[in-house]
Amino acid sequence: MARKEIQVGLEIGTTKVCAVVAECQENGGIRILGVGETPSRGVRKGEIVDFENASNCVRDALSDAEEKSDVEIESVWLAVTGSHIRSFNNRGSANIPEESSEITEEEIQDVEFKAKEISLPKENAILHSIIQHYYVDGQEGVLNPVGMLGSRLEADFHIIHGVTNRIQNSIRCVKECHIEVEDVVVSSLASAQVVLGENQKESGALVIDIGGGVTDYIVYLDGAVRHSGVLAVGGDHITNDISIGLRIPITRAEKLKTEEGSAELGKSLPGEKIVLKNDTGFSGKEVEREMLNMIMHARLEELFVLLKKRLSGEVSEHLIGAGVMLTGGCSQIRGIRGIAESVFGMPVHLTRAQAVSGPTSAYENPQFSTCIGLAKYAQAVRSEMPESSFLKGFLGNFFKKISPFSSRR
Amino acid sequence: MISFPKYLSQTQPLRVCLVGLGNAGVNLADRMTMSGGSGFETVAINSDQHSLATSVSPVKVSLGPLATRGLGAGGDPEIGMDAARESLREIEEALAAPDIVFLCAGLGGGTGSGAGGLVAEVAKQSGALLIAAVTTPFSFEGRRRNLQAEAALQEIRAHADAVIHFENDRMAELSAPKSGVTETFSACDELLCGCLSAITRLLSAPGPLGIGLPDLLSVLNTGTGRCLFGTGAATGDNRAHEALERALKSPLLDRGHLLDEAASLLVHLSGPPSLSFSEVSAIMQEIGRQGSEGTMLHLGVSTTPDKNAPVLVTILAKTEGTTISHEIPSVRPQRSQEPARHVPARLVSPEPEPILDLETEKEEEPAPEPPPPPAPPRQPKPERATATHSAKSHPSTKPPQEKIKQETLQFEPIARGRFEKIEPTIVEGEDLDVPTFLRLKKP
Repeated sequence: MARKEIQVGLEIGTTKVCAVVAECQENGGIRILGVGETPSRGVRKGEIVDFENASNCVRDALSDAEEKSDVEIESVWLAVTGSHIRSFNNRGSANIPEESSEITEEEIQDVEFKAKEISLPKENAILHSIIQHYYVDGQEGVLNPVGMLGSRLEADFHIIHGVTNRIQNSIRCVKECHIEVEDVVVSSLASAQVVLGENQKESGALVIDIGGGVTDYIVYLDGAVRHSGVLAVGGDHITNDISIGLRIPITRAEKLKTEEGSAELGKSLPGEKIVLKNDTGFSGKEVEREMLNMIMHARLEELFVLLKKRLSGEVSEHLIGAGVMLTGGCSQIRGIRGIAESVFGMPVHLTRAQAVSGPTSAYENPQFSTCIGLAKYAQAVRSEMPESSFLKGFLGNFFKKISPFSSRR
Repeated sequence: MISFPKYLSQTQPLRVCLVGLGNAGVNLADRMTMSGGSGFETVAINSDQHSLATSVSPVKVSLGPLATRGLGAGGDPEIGMDAARESLREIEEALAAPDIVFLCAGLGGGTGSGAGGLVAEVAKQSGALLIAAVTTPFSFEGRRRNLQAEAALQEIRAHADAVIHFENDRMAELSAPKSGVTETFSACDELLCGCLSAITRLLSAPGPLGIGLPDLLSVLNTGTGRCLFGTGAATGDNRAHEALERALKSPLLDRGHLLDEAASLLVHLSGPPSLSFSEVSAIMQEIGRQGSEGTMLHLGVSTTPDKNAPVLVTILAKTEGTTISHEIPSVRPQRSQEPARHVPARLVSPEPEPILDLETEKEEEPAPEPPPPPAPPRQPKPERATATHSAKSHPSTKPPQEKIKQETLQFEPIARGRFEKIEPTIVEGEDLDVPTFLRLKKP
């Protein structure tokens, strides 16, 4: 693309609604022009529960972003998440007509179409189908079969699907503000775009984005998405645990979590107390530091154990060479790395958006990983697959998506 | 070592003799007497006449009236030794027939270091159980003194059945850095004093779970490492927790961190008749959490008839250190102690048990938030819990009225908080919206 294109990523998160305006650069990088942000209302566990409020938040965030970046936003790339989003791997196959025996773009589409012929619940729709590997006449590990000769083409796809109506809700929420939605992208996929480098995708990595309401995770092996998913547990749960455990209001619990909390056990002195000052509607309290840490530790440990369990059937751990990348707002919790390391038994890195330029405050905060990732994803889709808009029209399927990376290398 | 020592064979109350040796020892013995400690007699042994003259001990032995002319050993262990040899007969007389001898001395000086070994030997020969409680000098007192103390400690170890060894450096942490010298020293003394009286108390106190000498010896003989000690008392609603907290605050325990290193741990709880089983289990769980998995726990519980008595938690432990082969006196003859010694292990290990107990308590009492009303009669709790254990662990004097204990955490049956009205996250049959720590506590 000769002209510098502007892409906007919008995430309607549980904690905050944020919009990132980024400029695509020729070298494949992106430059952040501005970040609009507003505390989120009406969103729980990554899904909209109060349409009116959420829509207002989107409007606020977008106008904030417009103001900061001095760009008029017309369309956005929207991140979706929620416990309804599922994934699986499926293989499609197609026979190459004998007269030609050369694999063309048409066969590739045919294979993908076949791979998507699966029985989904009728309210579900496919969000992404991401190519993992092609097989030509049983030969493994073919990355781009176009132009090769063969009689049979097979392909493994990673298919991510979700409940149509719930995804439509997010889209409608944006459309309320008279903004177009270019496409919806699963949060984990977006985060991975900026958190992982190419070589990390190759050597295998697990990205865990622990946000306010949900935890998105995605596994890359050999440069392709192997597994992904959403666990509807996030920072809100920690706050809620603290609020119940220490009997303090939610707002206090949130503050305590970010300011004092740590997930490391045994680091506080026995009986060490944290004094909460009194406030309107709250008469002040002393809470035990160890208790606070214990509550946070228990939740995070459980979260990682659950993730590990979910992965254990799908991916063998020793293949994940680059280790675990933690991102999202909760990755800022003190001591989280130690827990993750002890649960997964592999190196854990706290990461945030990389290969991005612009205001440091934006990309250095792991909270914005998904949002910046959206812009990056958009850029990749736009620059590497200029025909994607055509495809979209051709198939008439809004959710139709081909991975921008793996199919073109 | 001893085949059938007389302290084990006796049925009448043990005769405990507290020997204060040297200036530091005499001070300590006096403090013990004046702090109203009972159940022991004190003997003051010193080469310094002045110190002896002011001592309140009924039995006083002046060491080496010729060697030192009653002026003290002046920091020279040689003189201390000579003085002790000179007065050997007097020492023997003073230590004629006790069952247990506590030898208190401050090592590093003249009398304590010099005469320590000899006095220990005499005490041992009288057939008593010898427990030495010694302090080693501050590091700023110089290397020479520390060496003297080390040598004397070795000598005493050779004779004593158990050595409680405290470092002054560590004890100085008891008081604030800016506090007065007298205050610091008296805080040190107080701690030692507390330790000794705790030991006499735990040996003599009657209770459902007794701690016997074998327990004490096995803890103290575990190694040559540091002796860890902490004691705390508290009353009120949260007494169990507070008492433990205070006990752990002891600098000798390094605020509980050192418990992790303890090879063996002795915990003694004493309290009013209302001391509940759940309180005991809460304390033990907390301690168990601090300690490492391999730690041998000795638990003793005793109750006093005094209704207003505070809950008293005493922790005594020894770090591993380099072990010297110190044969533990045979505990076989003491049959009466045997069952009691085994109960603690059983009582401590099944951790989920008491929690189950708390759960049921919750169901019965949905809102125990406000300060407990003056004691509604509630029997079932301890009854149920103890029934699963041996009858031995059940206090024979059943508290007639049980106060509802205010726990740190009290919850509604299902607590989902802010996720109350939205779709639950259910994974593997568990509602993840309910705080993890609540779910984990379920058996």
